[in-house]
Amino acid sequence: MKAEVHIIKERCKGCGICIEICQASVLEISEELNTNGYHPPVAKNPEACINCGMCEMFCPDFAIWVTVVKEADVNV
Amino acid sequence: MSRSIVEGVGPIHPFNEFLQVGSIPSVWCPGCGIGTVVNIFIETIEKLKVDVEKLCVLSGIGCTGKIIDYLKFNSAHKVNGSVLQYASEFKMKNPDKKVVVFLNDVDLMIAGSDDLLNIGTKGMDVFVIYINNFIYYVLIEHRSLLKTPFMGTTTDMSSASPFNIPHLAKSCGARYVARWTPLHVRRLMYSMRDALQRDSLSFVEVISPCLIYYASDGIVGRSFDRMKLFHDNAVIKHNEPIENLDIRFQDKVIVGEFIDEREK
Repeated sequence: MKAEVHIIKERCKGCGICIEICQASVLEISEELNTNGYHPPVAKNPEACINCGMCEMFCPDFAIWVTVVKEADVNV
Repeated sequence: MSRSIVEGVGPIHPFNEFLQVGSIPSVWCPGCGIGTVVNIFIETIEKLKVDVEKLCVLSGIGCTGKIIDYLKFNSAHKVNGSVLQYASEFKMKNPDKKVVVFLNDVDLMIAGSDDLLNIGTKGMDVFVIYINNFIYYVLIEHRSLLKTPFMGTTTDMSSASPFNIPHLAKSCGARYVARWTPLHVRRLMYSMRDALQRDSLSFVEVISPCLIYYASDGIVGRSFDRMKLFHDNAVIKHNEPIENLDIRFQDKVIVGEFIDEREK
C-alpha cells in the first residue's frame, strides 16, 4: 500500500504537531513561509508514509491529510 | 465520503463539507488543543454518519466560543453564562435535534452550573464538551476556581482545594462522564462516539493546554511540548471512583471513562 501526504500550506500555523506525531518521520519543517508568516511542513521522504492518518487527526487547522494511492497507479 | 482527489479541482480535505473554509486558519494559538478537539468532533460526526440537519452546536465566550465560526452546522453563539440555558430551551422546543455544547470555565463553572443541573435532572439529551484549560481571566484579578495541575502562579502556589468537575457532572445527572487530553485522539473520539449515542446528559472533559497564561515558567520549549506535558502527566484509569478525580497541584491527572450508564 502506498500513501500520499497532502498539505495546504496556506492553512498551516506551524505548530509542528504533525512533525512530532509522525512515527515514520515523513515530515519536516520547511524553509519557506506562507502568507501568515509560518513555516509549513513538507514531506521529506513521502515513500515512508504508512497511512496511519495521525497527522490528519491531530491537525487543528485541517491543513494535512493522507490518501491511499491505488496499486494500479503505482505500477503504471 | 470519497477520500480521493477530484480531478481538475486539486486536493480537497475530506472534512471540507463540514467547515467554513474561508475562515481557516483559526484564531487559536499554534499548539492549542481546541483545534484538535474540533477535528476529532468532526471525525466523530463523519464516522457515525450523523444527520447534520438534526445536529445543533452551541458555544459560549472566549476561545472555546470561536469553535462554531469554523463549523458548517446549525449553530448559535451565546454570551456569558446563557449557553446551557439556551441549550435547555432549545432542546425543549426541538426534541428531535441533537444538541452539542462546547463550554469553558465561565460558561460552566461560573454562570452555567445551575442550568447543567436543570438539564441533567430533566433528563435532556444534551452532549456537553467542556474544554478545560484552567483559564478564568475575565479580569486579571480573578482567580480560577480550578488549580493548574503542574504550574502555580508567582503569587499563589495553589493551596486551596481544587474543584472536581466530573463529580459535578455526575451529581447533575450525567449518564456518561469521561475526561481526556487532546493527545488521546482515538480514545477521545471513541468517548465522543459513545456520548453522542446516549439519550441523556453526557459529559466529556478535555484537559487542554493554554499557551498564553502559565507559559512563563520555562517548561515550554516548543508549542507541542505543553500539550505533551499534559499527556505525559495523565494516568488512564477507567471506572475510577468519581470522588478521586480532582486535579491537585503537581499531581497526576486521572483520565478515562468514569461513568457509562446505559438506559435502563
